[in-house]
Amino acid sequence: MASRVSARQRWRQLPAALALLAPSIVILGAFVVYPLVRAVVLGRQRCGVTGQSCRTVGWGQYGDVFVSQEFQNALWVTVRFALITVPLGLVLGVALAVLAHKPLSGIAVFRTIFSSTVATSVAVASLMWLFLLQPDVGVLANVGWLNELIPTLKRPGLLRDPATALWSVALSSVWAGLGFTFILVTAGLQGIPEDLHEAAAIDGATGSRRFWKITLPLLGPTLLFVVIVLTTRAFQAYGEVDLLTDGGPQPGDTTTTLTYLTYGRDSLIAGDDGLRSTSAVLLFLVLLALSMIQLRLIGRRVHYGSD
Amino acid sequence: MAAERAPRGARLVGRYTLLGIVAFVVLFPVYTTVIGALKPAGKLLQNPLIPDSFTLEVLRDAWTEGRLGRYLLNSAIVAIIVTLAQVVTSVLSGYAFSMLDYPGRGVLFVLFLSTMLVPLEATLVVNRRTIGDLGWLNSYQGLAIPFAATAFGTFLVRQAMLSLPGDLRDAARIDGAGHVAFLRHVAVPLVRPTLGALALFSFLSSWNQYLWPNLITTNQEMNTVQSGLRALRESALQSPNVVMAGTIIAAIPIVIALLVFQKALVRGLTAGAVKG
Amino acid sequence: MNRRRLTPVALLAAASIAVAACSSGDSIIEQAGDDEPTTPAPATTVAEGSSGSTAAPASSVAGDEPVATAPATNATTTTTPLAALPDCPVDALDGATAPVEITFWHGLNVDNQTAIEQVTANYNASQDRVIVDPQNQGGYLETIDKFFQSGDTDRPAVVMLPEYTVQQAIDSATMIPVEACTSAAGYDLSTFQPATIAAYSAAGVDWGMPFNVSNPVLYYNKNMFVEAGLDPDKPPQSLEELRAYSQQLVDSGAAAYGIAIDSGADSGGGWFLEQWFANAGELYADNGNGRLAPATEVLYDGVSGVELLTYVQDLVNDGLAFYVGDNAGGADQLLKLADENEPAAMAISTSAGLGTVLNTLAGGLVPGLGPEDVGVGALPGPAGVPTALVGGAALYIADGKTDVEAAAAWDFISYLVSPETQSLFATLTGYVPVRSDALTVEPALSVYEDDPRFRVAYDQLAASPDSPALQGPILGPQREIRAVTARAVAEIFSGGDVQTALSNAAQVANDLLAAYNASN
Repeated sequence: MASRVSARQRWRQLPAALALLAPSIVILGAFVVYPLVRAVVLGRQRCGVTGQSCRTVGWGQYGDVFVSQEFQNALWVTVRFALITVPLGLVLGVALAVLAHKPLSGIAVFRTIFSSTVATSVAVASLMWLFLLQPDVGVLANVGWLNELIPTLKRPGLLRDPATALWSVALSSVWAGLGFTFILVTAGLQGIPEDLHEAAAIDGATGSRRFWKITLPLLGPTLLFVVIVLTTRAFQAYGEVDLLTDGGPQPGDTTTTLTYLTYGRDSLIAGDDGLRSTSAVLLFLVLLALSMIQLRLIGRRVHYGSD
Repeated sequence: MAAERAPRGARLVGRYTLLGIVAFVVLFPVYTTVIGALKPAGKLLQNPLIPDSFTLEVLRDAWTEGRLGRYLLNSAIVAIIVTLAQVVTSVLSGYAFSMLDYPGRGVLFVLFLSTMLVPLEATLVVNRRTIGDLGWLNSYQGLAIPFAATAFGTFLVRQAMLSLPGDLRDAARIDGAGHVAFLRHVAVPLVRPTLGALALFSFLSSWNQYLWPNLITTNQEMNTVQSGLRALRESALQSPNVVMAGTIIAAIPIVIALLVFQKALVRGLTAGAVKG
Repeated sequence: MNRRRLTPVALLAAASIAVAACSSGDSIIEQAGDDEPTTPAPATTVAEGSSGSTAAPASSVAGDEPVATAPATNATTTTTPLAALPDCPVDALDGATAPVEITFWHGLNVDNQTAIEQVTANYNASQDRVIVDPQNQGGYLETIDKFFQSGDTDRPAVVMLPEYTVQQAIDSATMIPVEACTSAAGYDLSTFQPATIAAYSAAGVDWGMPFNVSNPVLYYNKNMFVEAGLDPDKPPQSLEELRAYSQQLVDSGAAAYGIAIDSGADSGGGWFLEQWFANAGELYADNGNGRLAPATEVLYDGVSGVELLTYVQDLVNDGLAFYVGDNAGGADQLLKLADENEPAAMAISTSAGLGTVLNTLAGGLVPGLGPEDVGVGALPGPAGVPTALVGGAALYIADGKTDVEAAAAWDFISYLVSPETQSLFATLTGYVPVRSDALTVEPALSVYEDDPRFRVAYDQLAASPDSPALQGPILGPQREIRAVTARAVAEIFSGGDVQTALSNAAQVANDLLAAYNASN
């Protein structure tokens, strides 16, 4: 389309375009680009109590922080968190969507129920799970027979046992994200042409065979998108840790994710804006690396450029 | 859809049973919270799975002690500001990236998109300072303005406008003064479904903000629902039923909104999957 | 398609394994030196020998305690005379034409929040020159962060900061030292408990006004004591007694465990350690617990620290103590007392929780356990006689406000520490009155008489001798150091090696001190 427009016309459109773009440029510049650049600079520094008197340590601080025990631990916790939540969220979401993808009367009610967790914020979902899992006032710990079946519920409690804490936080996170996955996958299923299934059914393909050979491959793009969203969410998880475990149980900072290391109230770097920036920028780089991998996977499905 | 034949007889019963069980499992955390929210403190820990006693007192306590009315209002105000702002800025920039042609457009657009790669968490330390310097702590603008524009919204609107017929776009290449009128009367009405999806998506993300309101509010009056729930959690051990009730109250408005806007929600959430 | 979908997971896994392999083993705080980006021998920390020679540091310090104090105070280079610090315009309120509105940040939750709001409302009603707006920041940690991260205009005129924030309050240069006000106003401190003033002093200047003072006490189930044949009015005082009582409680079947312990930073994992060190007469950090000059080294990894924690660890190992974890809820050890199936008979927790505990039990949350069944005893410690460090929090006046606001802040503070308010607040909460004449007015007069449980914390603080060890540590990064010891204690209570855990923790703590001293 550009070919139909002369160079002179294009220059004449520039002022209008800039005026239209101005609000977005100001906001994104002030609250995304500037803070990132500033954080990169701050990340070379150590700061005093009020965050004002900062002294420069050098770029080496990025390396030091990256290889430090706490950061490595948080990175590893975050990766494990993602390795639990992403596959589990995906499988459960697909299972629910397939289950509800039936021409039954009243199915709309079930669909609404299955998508309902999309209405829960991280705080709502986490508090619900807190009262499910808390070993003293929690629901499960006070159900006698269940307690005998799973003593960990009470002693020391799923959120307090280093072996189960991360799984428990992850489970709450998966639950909260279930509605979202369900909605997406359902939309994906509805986009699959019916005649494909009909043809396969006539050819004698069984339900499970049709699922593996037709449904799943055609869901590919949707699933890929779900994986990307779930992965990004997992790497940014904060609220569930803040509300459920405070980064514990100790020893080992069992659920201290990268965001919690950076912003959590129990973090060793809570009092130093310099180190917090180092950690925040490193989190950005980790996410950037992930995005690069994801962009490669999507290939050229998303097209940028103007022409 | 009809691809799978509708099951009959025993299979039908089995199918509903399965659906019922799964639905119960999915709703289980909600169920236990509701039960707890309706029980007096003394009964709470006995039969936590069975609604054997009932009181509305706890809900009332949560409403007053947790100041949830005020917090819900704050959340709603902030989310509405964010939503409106995002729709407007996205329309303007999406239009500039699709209907207009000018030197540097491609580079600018890539720059825009690249801001999507910057996670919120990488900017909070500095943004907290900026908001402080602006004197915007404890204010609606402080809670909302940093989220008033997104590359995601710009991208979405641009895609929608690119799919409009070519001669419409040519008509847009008129001189400066006409753009706003053209936007209002032609472009915006045509991309309305996309804007609806974007609006719902913006509203939800704003409503669910957790870390940011915690960072920039020092006045309880300005808590959002999310930071208010965090404050309420401090009573979790002393009065668990009250916190449970608060959780339910905090969830209800969004549940209702989603029931009403179910269709738009699906579009909003799937909008992210739009391919160019 | 299958293969492609596996890729992100596989890549993630591969990347993480590659990354995990490159850990330096250093703490995130440690500064690897300006020259070398890698980590060759962290010179300062290792050289000071916290790991190898275990006994040396602690015992040498314990040896030279009180004698060195007096001369060293004079020698301190960091002393700033009061005259050089911000003034306190106590009379400025007289010139105000309209009521002055000020904000007051605190970190008290639940019942203690109700109490602080009540006494603030009382103040507002008592006069018409000042209106105070109390704002809960969610907890002490949130209050600290938000206060220091805010600029002059966003800070409140009055802020409540916990006892481990003294050094930060000084170094932030954001405060009017409260002594500037007390001396300008000629305020009489003679009835104050000296320890409460001393706790918020450094280098000869009083910085914060002690307000809600607490210390750890022993909560116990009287019924179980009776069942085990123990005197419900004679709780254990020494650690040996604590063990013996626990044994009897468990053997008799009265309780599943003698005591519930935790490793929270502000309880079993940090604060109680500081208390036990003080009780033993040991310094927790060098430079006179950081009161003579900024501390450079913690001393808890010495022989006394190891002995102490080994003793407590044995309680856990022998099934006498139940370890409840890191106390994320803030009262987890207390809840173990109410456990239906496997209760513990005792728990150590802050006296500030007493009001909340009694209210909660009165509310009927725990069937079969009423407020009257709970006993309160002094904190059992190594010395066998009750002592206490000042815990809780103090009120600070922010610098950078107008004169009338500062004067209003002082007026409010002087109301909060008046005998009448202290008397009321202590009985509402379980905090200790900061002054003895608060006990001569109602309601404390009768409550302390009728319910001696409220007295325990006051008495053990009053009984504490005046010594450097019993002024407690002030460390710049004390909050972070508590977080570090909390992790070590968690490791110890989970069966880890005591010396290793403490040595590692001390090394990180020393890193924290070095980084703090370099930045502030």
